[in-house]
Amino acid sequence: MSGAVTNRVLLAVALALAAVYLFPLYWMYVTSLKTQSSIFAVPPEFLPGAPQWDNYATIWEVANILRYIGNSLVIASGVTLITALVGSGCAYVLARYRNGWIDAALFAVLMLQVLPPSLMVTPIFVGFASVGLLEYPRFATILAFSAKTMPFFVILCRAAFMTVPRELEEAALVDGNSRIGAFFMIVLPLARNGLLISALLVFMNGFGEYVYSASIIADNRLQPASIGMTNFLQPNVVNWNAIMAFAATYVTPILAAFVLLQRQIVNGLTAGALK
Amino acid sequence: MTRILRSLRDGIGFDVLLVIIALSYLLVFAGLPLIYNVIISFQTVDVFSLGTLWHPNAGFDNYRAIFDDPLAGRVLWQTIVFTLGSVALQFTFGFALALFFHQNFTGATWIRGLFLAAWVMPGLVVGVLWNWLLSGDFGVINHLLESLGLIEDPVFWRSNVETSLYAVLIANIWYGTPFNMILLAVGLAAIPGDLYEAAELDGANAFQRFWTITLPMMRATIGAVLALGIIFTLQQFDLFAAITQGGPAGSSTVAQYWSWQLSFREFDFGRGAVISVLMIIVVLFVSLIYVRSTKAETQL
Amino acid sequence: MTYQIELDRVEKHYGRFHALKEISLAIPKGQFVALVGPSGCGKSTLLRSIAGLERITSGTLRIAGEPVDDLPPRKRDLAMVFQSYALYPHMSVRDNLTYALRLKGVSRAERARRAEEVAAVIGLETLLDRRPRELSGGQRQRVAMGRAIIRQPRAFLFDEPLSNLDAALRVRMRKEVRALHDRIGATSVYVTHDQIEAMTMADHVVVLQAGRIEQQGTPVALYDRPANRFVAGFIGSPAMNFIPGVIAGDGRAVRLALPGNPMLETTIAGTPGLQVEVGIRPEHMVLGSPDAPDALPLVVNAVETTGAASYLFTEGEPELIVTTEGTATIRAGDTIGVSVDPARVHLFEPETGASLRSASL
Repeated sequence: MSGAVTNRVLLAVALALAAVYLFPLYWMYVTSLKTQSSIFAVPPEFLPGAPQWDNYATIWEVANILRYIGNSLVIASGVTLITALVGSGCAYVLARYRNGWIDAALFAVLMLQVLPPSLMVTPIFVGFASVGLLEYPRFATILAFSAKTMPFFVILCRAAFMTVPRELEEAALVDGNSRIGAFFMIVLPLARNGLLISALLVFMNGFGEYVYSASIIADNRLQPASIGMTNFLQPNVVNWNAIMAFAATYVTPILAAFVLLQRQIVNGLTAGALK
Repeated sequence: MTRILRSLRDGIGFDVLLVIIALSYLLVFAGLPLIYNVIISFQTVDVFSLGTLWHPNAGFDNYRAIFDDPLAGRVLWQTIVFTLGSVALQFTFGFALALFFHQNFTGATWIRGLFLAAWVMPGLVVGVLWNWLLSGDFGVINHLLESLGLIEDPVFWRSNVETSLYAVLIANIWYGTPFNMILLAVGLAAIPGDLYEAAELDGANAFQRFWTITLPMMRATIGAVLALGIIFTLQQFDLFAAITQGGPAGSSTVAQYWSWQLSFREFDFGRGAVISVLMIIVVLFVSLIYVRSTKAETQL
Repeated sequence: MTYQIELDRVEKHYGRFHALKEISLAIPKGQFVALVGPSGCGKSTLLRSIAGLERITSGTLRIAGEPVDDLPPRKRDLAMVFQSYALYPHMSVRDNLTYALRLKGVSRAERARRAEEVAAVIGLETLLDRRPRELSGGQRQRVAMGRAIIRQPRAFLFDEPLSNLDAALRVRMRKEVRALHDRIGATSVYVTHDQIEAMTMADHVVVLQAGRIEQQGTPVALYDRPANRFVAGFIGSPAMNFIPGVIAGDGRAVRLALPGNPMLETTIAGTPGLQVEVGIRPEHMVLGSPDAPDALPLVVNAVETTGAASYLFTEGEPELIVTTEGTATIRAGDTIGVSVDPARVHLFEPETGASLRSASL
């Protein structure tokens, strides 16, 4: 086979693989545009008929999706804010030095990252209940989930800070900066992209958070979209078109952000994940 | 006082402060819960005693109750099947895809990127999506399998005790494969190309090159990916919540989900804490092996 | 007399590693001092300690008479040129140049004026609005220099600033840096591993090894009167030849451990019978007829020529190098006669490496 033919065959196979893999996403969008009767058609209709935009109107009006997504945004913003404010400085120091203390701190952070939220939520809930934090369920969720995202953020940001040569900071010190000045004027601007991507990933995590919200937030009006979806999932559900419209509304912003920033997100994540 | 201020501005105090802020936060919201977890696993914590910091002592009652629970053995077995099944298949598919996209063809990187779309989605949405795909009577998966002649009658994936765990497993493989793929792809890209050229000059065919160069050079990456796979699979919760909720009859309950159910469905936080303590020990043990084996140089 | 930079028994420990040992050094205003030594000798640590980037463990450090041990870098009023140049990649050349002035609160107009002025000095007037990554290596080096000059600091610190440049540019910049130093009447401390750079640029050369000052003095002094075997071997290119020998009966000559045990006259008085290391620079070995009375007969093993000079490598142990001018007609296998001016012969104690000449002076 010549190079060009090989190239075309491989490309075709790759597109086929991607199509198969992404079929569930396609199915989500297609279902979200079907009528109630056509979602139960046998055999299934793989191409949508006339798009039923009503499904989206329904979840807008009936399912309170706006309120749910608003709550998700509140939780995601709070988590990102706390994580970034508290975690950036720590990531910087862990990137800046190499000694026994730093290794110990890094080890502690790594160990905290692996703790499953579904297991941590029991002691956190009981503890929060005893100190009265459950009175503020969204805030409690933000506090609890930030402890989960922070190790992850610290590891990612550390990789970003490590790309800033130490000599630049030293040059700034000699030029007349204090440590704080050099951090804000030199190090932070240079690590900015890595930091923003890490913060975006934390935001996306917070936006999709489920375990803590489901355990801590009992009041329907304060629940995020992830819980909003499960509220649909009663036994013997029939309105899959509405559920899929809800799902599509929920994930489309995330997918859009991913498509726009794919390269940076992947680079950031792999930099943090492997040496 | 001025000494401390000066150190904060110009010296090591600046670094110490930054680390202490973050570590204090983690100590309060992750470290203390870890300890508290152990304490409440020895206490009777229910809806009535909730709200106080200290609860009635229960000794080993909670532990005894868990070990005597007829569900315990099944949950353990299901956890093992789910974890190993997920890790093995995510890795296999991920490695195959990574190798495929490692070949240089137009658009390889871009198309590979499409796979990662799944992985940025919230777990709960992925679960709901697969709940619909695997639906018994009207599920598109059943339809495809029937038209391919693989099954005769629809499989009630979610509601059959025989298949419910696999329903979640399938969704989890789909969800976790891209992460495996991208990490393995990074490992593949790090192997210097001239090694393959040298091996080719030495007369190695493609298969021999894979066994003698790719696999040995990938050992560290493969170890890391497998360990991370176990760690992440033990964190999986959302898919269970969205697809089977552990049922029917506990047939798809894994340890982390059971712990949550005991705490938040049966409001027996003491017993929930028991499983939590035991599972956290397992997770930390796996991570410890992983971090030690990569000499703390590689990051999670 | 107050010195611009003065170090008094400065010590630096990193945990158990002893990086600087009893460093005492006094640099008068206007002097160009080179710190030279092999990698890991502590020269960069010393420079960074002066800058305040490292804290010294003990001893005192004064700048213009003022003790600065407790001052952070920003209060020491020193400028530093880094090996990697350390130009801020997110700022234009102009902003790089004026960053320190901005931190000092110098007005925008004044900053602009000074930037133009310095740009003219370093020849980068047209590049002020570029980003560092758009510059060539040589241009970046100039910006780094300009960033130091613009501040009119109490002293300039250079950390191997030329080592990332190609050979031709390095030679040119050597002269430019020195000319700049003279023009602005600066005080400079210059770290390099390249002894030629140190010799050609500096008024005063400090040779370091393993955290200790081996010798300091003018380039000529180090070349002519190395205090020990290390300095003798480090300064000069190709490196000095060392031959084991024994001081002969009259104390004015040494018997060399070479085939035939030839005698070599020296001007150094020594105890007869003493074991010594005899040091002779390749360029002080004068080629003559092998039959001349005082000549050392040597067999050539290999010849390298640069065109301007040729290096003859001799057979046997130790291998000796003889430098001759021009293209040599001598080939491998030829026997040559070499004579040496007795005043050019160095003797070193084999154990301590100390020069017998400085002992006799």
